[in-house]
Amino acid sequence: MADPTPAAAASSGGLPQFDLAQWPGQIVWLLIIFGVLYFLFSRVFVPAVAETIDAREDKISGDIGDARRARDAARAELDAAAGELSVARARAQKVAMDAQSEAKAAAAARQAAEEARLAETLAAAEARIAEARAEAMSHVRTIAVETAQAMIHRLTGAEASSAEVERAISEAIPS
Amino acid sequence: MAAIEPMEQFLIHKVVNLPPIPVPGLGAVDLSITNSVLFMLIAAGLLSAFFFAAARRELVPGRLQAVAEMLYGMVDNVLTGGIIGDRGRPFLPIVFTLFLLIAILNLLGLTPGGFTVTSQLAITGTLAVLTFVIVLAVGFARNGLGFFKLFWPAGMHPAMSAFLMVIELISFLIRPFTLALRLFGNMLGGHVVVYIFAAFVVNLALFGLNGFGLNTLGLLGSGLSFAMVLALTALDLVIAIIQAFVWAALTCVYLNEVVNLDHGH
Repeated sequence: MADPTPAAAASSGGLPQFDLAQWPGQIVWLLIIFGVLYFLFSRVFVPAVAETIDAREDKISGDIGDARRARDAARAELDAAAGELSVARARAQKVAMDAQSEAKAAAAARQAAEEARLAETLAAAEARIAEARAEAMSHVRTIAVETAQAMIHRLTGAEASSAEVERAISEAIPS
Repeated sequence: MAAIEPMEQFLIHKVVNLPPIPVPGLGAVDLSITNSVLFMLIAAGLLSAFFFAAARRELVPGRLQAVAEMLYGMVDNVLTGGIIGDRGRPFLPIVFTLFLLIAILNLLGLTPGGFTVTSQLAITGTLAVLTFVIVLAVGFARNGLGFFKLFWPAGMHPAMSAFLMVIELISFLIRPFTLALRLFGNMLGGHVVVYIFAAFVVNLALFGLNGFGLNTLGLLGSGLSFAMVLALTALDLVIAIIQAFVWAALTCVYLNEVVNLDHGH
């Protein structure tokens, strides 16, 4: 366990760390090793890690921006589609209403035409009836004259001329 | 009875012998690979290997990459970003390196048979001086001579400011020592206490196996000591990370003072 080197003396006397003979070698080696490590870290490792982290953050923020833009575009398209839909709905409603009013107008026109035809027929019929009545009334006088002639003949045996009878009837029944 | 030598674990011995190499300013330095150097190399190797494997550039990170990014994010958000603020980014590599190196050295010290490099005052002292020099260099580079405003409390009587300047200067200059001793003391104390309880486990058990009667109590003490070793090892695991974090956080606090000197603090 005991080492036959000068350092062994330190173990019995004091701390081996105070053995100054061991200092220069350690110091020089430490400076060399630290220098190499510092070079590696400052030139190779830290830039690599830092650049990778930066690149990742750029990528993530870029992707988030892309996603946000895509979302906005989708939302705009959705709005546009909703607008188009409402326009189309309004148009359809208008078309339906136009058709309805057109049909209504056509029906009204047809009805009016029918009514006109009916009124015409009615008027014609009334005219015919009036004509027939007038004709019938004109026959009534003739019948009355003939009837009166016949009755005169039967009652008196005299012949009354139709002109006389007609005059008498006209006096009795003002036509 | 096994000898209780709690300081033996901090002894440095050579693993690979190398001839001394002349270093400018220091003369010939024995750069042999010692156990301390070996564990520094292991730590550096582990860190490099991990980050070579983990510092990928995948958009969807794998497990290793996620760990590396989590560590980076912690340092970026809590330390350089959280303490220094917007101007903290350039200092992230040095804080990151300090944090990871100290953490891995602390943790390697807790592995069975591991050597605790951060329990060496030479190491913590060097790292502390390095940190201090970096803060000084950044301070002068950013502010020029305005750096000295750091020690001059504004908004009071000049005599009072002058008095406080002395205190500010001392508290500034003492920083490398507090940095070095904090880590050194934590690692030293933790390992010594664990060693002592571990020694109790063995020695009390041997005592207990020696005979019956009073000796049997030794077995109980041995068990209790074993529980203590477990609990202390768990505590040391936490301390290993916390001390590395404290070092990194203090580095950021010191850097913040000199980087945001014109912003007030």
